[in-house]
Amino acid sequence: MSHVAALEAAIRAWADGGVFEGFEEWALRAFAHQFERVAAYRSYCERRGVTPATVASWTDVPAVPAAAFRHADLATGPAEAAFRTSGTTGGAGARGRHPIVHLSLYRASALAGFRHFVVPDDERLACLFLLPPLAARPDSSLVHMCAWVGEAFGTSVEWFVGDEGLDLARLRERLAALAASGEPVLLAGPTAAFVRLFDTGFSCRLGPGSRVMDTGGAKGMPRPLSRPGFLRACWTHLGIAGYFCVNEYGMTELCSQRYDSVLADRMAGRSLAARRLVAPPWLRTRVLDPDTLTPVAPGATGLLCHHDLANWGSVSVVLTEDLGHATGGDGIVVEGRVSGAPPRGCGQLLVAMSP
Amino acid sequence: MTTAGLSRAIAAAIDARTRLGRHTTDATAASLAAAAPRWLADPALAALAESSGLHPSMLAEVLPRTAAMLDRDAMRGLVEREGTDVGEPAEWIACILASNVPALAVPAIALGCLAGSAVVVKSGHRDTISAPAFQRALAAVDPALAATVVPVFWPHDSALDDVLLDAPIAVLTGHDATVAALAERATGRVLAHGTRYGALLIDTNADVDYAGAALDVALYEQRGCLSAHVCWVVGDAERVAAGLADALMLLAERLPPAPATVEERAAVRTFLEEAAWSGAGVQAGAWGAVVRESDPTFRPTCGARTIRVLPLPDVARLPECFPPNAIECLGTNVPPPAGLRARGVARVCPVGRMQQPPLSWPRGQRPALGSLLRESRTAVMAIER
Repeated sequence: MSHVAALEAAIRAWADGGVFEGFEEWALRAFAHQFERVAAYRSYCERRGVTPATVASWTDVPAVPAAAFRHADLATGPAEAAFRTSGTTGGAGARGRHPIVHLSLYRASALAGFRHFVVPDDERLACLFLLPPLAARPDSSLVHMCAWVGEAFGTSVEWFVGDEGLDLARLRERLAALAASGEPVLLAGPTAAFVRLFDTGFSCRLGPGSRVMDTGGAKGMPRPLSRPGFLRACWTHLGIAGYFCVNEYGMTELCSQRYDSVLADRMAGRSLAARRLVAPPWLRTRVLDPDTLTPVAPGATGLLCHHDLANWGSVSVVLTEDLGHATGGDGIVVEGRVSGAPPRGCGQLLVAMSP
Repeated sequence: MTTAGLSRAIAAAIDARTRLGRHTTDATAASLAAAAPRWLADPALAALAESSGLHPSMLAEVLPRTAAMLDRDAMRGLVEREGTDVGEPAEWIACILASNVPALAVPAIALGCLAGSAVVVKSGHRDTISAPAFQRALAAVDPALAATVVPVFWPHDSALDDVLLDAPIAVLTGHDATVAALAERATGRVLAHGTRYGALLIDTNADVDYAGAALDVALYEQRGCLSAHVCWVVGDAERVAAGLADALMLLAERLPPAPATVEERAAVRTFLEEAAWSGAGVQAGAWGAVVRESDPTFRPTCGARTIRVLPLPDVARLPECFPPNAIECLGTNVPPPAGLRARGVARVCPVGRMQQPPLSWPRGQRPALGSLLRESRTAVMAIER
């Protein structure tokens, strides 16, 4: 079995309740593979005097800045797909591109995380995505992920963003029908799209087990809305309790995602645990001091640096333009973006699609 | 402050302006010039270190430059060039100031007074001190003129903003988005000054003033529209990068960098990592950073004393290297190429003088005084020697 097949198998095993082990070994193996196959990354590492022979720990593996995905083709081989960051400023050249060499590994990672953190009860759901369909946005990693989610966990799948933007009339109609039927619903999409729905004044009581997965930051929001305000609105407008509202943190540059811990914690009997963004065990995040790129003290704010083993086919370690802090031993809280960094986030999907 | 209170203050300033009657521009210039050193000596300005985030040594360096803008002869010359034969001035002018650099209120008040209008100045949140301090200084030398000036501040109050945006002339400074949002609500004529940058052009075949170039980068911690973000080099770019780095290092000993927030430090790190990834030559430290790139296309840096050094094989092609209206000021050690005015450059000056503009600086290519007196349709670029 190839390394990548073994990694995918390990991820699938974790999704089925197994234990994922050997992050360190996988990380060093991935680095050696990427150093060998990605010329731009090898050159970058060599300029810093780092080679697989000099790396003793996963924390020594050089991170590429997220901007590297805007400048270079970071692929270990022929790409089966390529996803683009959703920034709308600066033209197409300013958008990052993440080539996906192992699409099935990406799918396995995305679905494993989603299942663990969003459907830990293995519920089957009517999937309503506040996003354009795959045919309209084949280069969106979020749209791809949602399509996979629909296939894996959906009783039905519908998309509500078209050429004219978010189709609020159709969405309200569909939500009302589903509320009447009592069928559990997954309503997923950019946080900004939810706010637009709330701002119509619509309200319903969706069936038991219904849940929200929102993602993206403030970009594209029609008005500011705090997280507690968002959770209150989910209850008021949709009848979905806060513990069924799961925030997702993902990046086009990563094949794995972090999720709000709230639902997994509740299912595991840890209802009192604080909300934090947690990850599957093949995604680790370090919070680094901007001056030294060494880990900050626990709880202090720094730059987020992700190490995603599912990025086997590109570069695993990405230094982001996001600021945040670690919390609760296994989680992070994202505080914002570096000033001057290009706008991005899934809310941009709405901006881009709006007339 | 209430909207009614603000309206009363504005009305009183307009009355004071009317009472001032034949106060000559000579007398106005003399009063402003006399107020400048008094303002500079005001102990209240010491508090700017905390509110602006600039090191006291930086403030000691930059505030005299602001005071120097109010040179009596220069103001008289400005009035002669731009302030005659223009009919009645506006009753009052509202200036809504950005908070990126301190003491923006001083030239704003001076220009308003020279225009013959009452002036209402809303300070930025990081400098609520300069405007009232200057009014106090002016009151000490010319109470009648000082009565035409209304310094105000409020953090967020759109109703009060709207009173100012009802002015016959509103001068707005700040980020593009902020200025655009305010301009939409203005009912009178708007002079908008949004986000712009400074740049250096250095030819290594001529003498290079590295210390001066470092000042052009570092003063005001690179927060203003006159701060150099790139340095185009005709000749040996590597030598210029090294010279700039050395000069910035030396300057940091005299003018220590302002304490940076984690957001600012993260922005610098992101800038440096991207540069390192792209193979650029990077020299960085607590003093700032010099990044030597191969593409001459203008891109601003993240600030905090960081500059891109870019090769320019043909000086005549400089205007092609930056987008229209991106560059406010060019500091250079050689004669500038043609085409800069058409590209939106407002000011060309010798290296080392970028952060010392005269009051006549045609900000945004508008005549400094003339644009307060009449609609200006001609783009102006000043070349200082």
